[in-house]
Amino acid sequence: MDKMNEFEPKILTFCCNWCSYAGADLAGTSRLQYPPNVRIIRVMCSGMVHPNMVIEALTKGADGVMICGCHPGDCHYLEGNLKAEKRAEAIELLLEDFGLEPERFRLVWVSASEGPRFAQVMTEMVETVRELGPSPYAT
Amino acid sequence: MSVKVAEEWLNICGGCEVSILDIGEPLLDILPKLEFVHMPVLMDHKYFGQKGEGTELTIPEADIGIVSGGVRNEKEKHVLEEMRKKTKILISLGSCASFGGIPAMANMYTLDALYDKVYRDSVTTDLADTPAENLPPLLDRVYALDEIITVDVHIPGCPPNPDMIVDALTALLEGKPFELPERSVCDDCPVKREKKAAGGQIKRPLEEMQFDQGGPWENTRCFMEQGYLCLGPVTRSGCGRVYEEGGPKVPRCVVGYMPCRGCFGPIRKGASPLVDMMGALSSIGLDAKQVVDRRALLNRYIGGQKRLRPLPQRPAR
Repeated sequence: MDKMNEFEPKILTFCCNWCSYAGADLAGTSRLQYPPNVRIIRVMCSGMVHPNMVIEALTKGADGVMICGCHPGDCHYLEGNLKAEKRAEAIELLLEDFGLEPERFRLVWVSASEGPRFAQVMTEMVETVRELGPSPYAT
Repeated sequence: MSVKVAEEWLNICGGCEVSILDIGEPLLDILPKLEFVHMPVLMDHKYFGQKGEGTELTIPEADIGIVSGGVRNEKEKHVLEEMRKKTKILISLGSCASFGGIPAMANMYTLDALYDKVYRDSVTTDLADTPAENLPPLLDRVYALDEIITVDVHIPGCPPNPDMIVDALTALLEGKPFELPERSVCDDCPVKREKKAAGGQIKRPLEEMQFDQGGPWENTRCFMEQGYLCLGPVTRSGCGRVYEEGGPKVPRCVVGYMPCRGCFGPIRKGASPLVDMMGALSSIGLDAKQVVDRRALLNRYIGGQKRLRPLPQRPAR
């Protein structure tokens, strides 16, 4: 086995309390399979995830970062997820400034009833990052 | 008994030394308590003895050491290490010493790329090898002082605020600690804020900025709210001075009706103004894509301490 195949990406996921964390919970209680590379941090709203959290994660050990929030229109705080969408634009610019591939960051909408979607999105992300290889900042 | 002071300048323009002179009258109160034993900008004091008889670089012992400028080459590194050995308290004066400063913008490129750009591929320069004799070799990048030795007191600023130099020296003479405030330039800024985001386009500072020159500060609206990029929110306060009796403290760029350029560095150790500013811009509805040359612009004075570095090479896919 060569070194590339041994690489197990670390994916940090910020899930909003109201939709996506419940979605992740549903994926768990439904016993859906998805890779164990994902570490979930529960936040009250996807709109509270500032770019510095994402960049800090990527420059200090994470190979990929995801923000999961409610679908537009469903936000518990009315427009927190729209704020997250705005911030995601800034995050994409910052990835460029730090020389990171844009695929290392994703913003996705996962509702509380979308357990299968949560598992699928996580699987996709882990595969994408596995192909990219470790973050250039990985220690 | 007077306190011995050694001053040294490294990779620098000399503006920080002018700042010391710019202290003005308070300097007269401090001067009798200080004895300068080494200061290349003022005194003829050689490193290897006055006639060059010494074999090792020596700087006289002192209680307080003041170093301005970042570290670009081996000689500067050597001088800095000697300064650290011979002084009890070491002050880094200015943004170059504290964060790398303007020269550290070169940290975006590798040393080889710099040589290519300046000496090898330049149309107006005859191709020549990099001189290796009698010249100290350059380090791989520009370093801030605290990347090489421990620094006791930081006085940032490009140039530093003379009031802050007085405060720091007075505190040290009285044996008190000197700490920088953990506040932003906005906390000191007297302009009017309507707490309404400007939204939309980011403008360049020389385009039709609205201000009431000479009038009260309430008549001038926050530059950020007018849509100009101002680094105030992500920059440490301390540059402000009181310009008229009974008047407010005004940050130094704002007094000239220009937005803050960020020379005092990050508000907190470890903060990244680039990331924080981009986050702030998108939060208040300005279009972050329009910031021209954001990596250099938002790290203008603080490229040392690995904030600016060559972008990692992406593996071929």
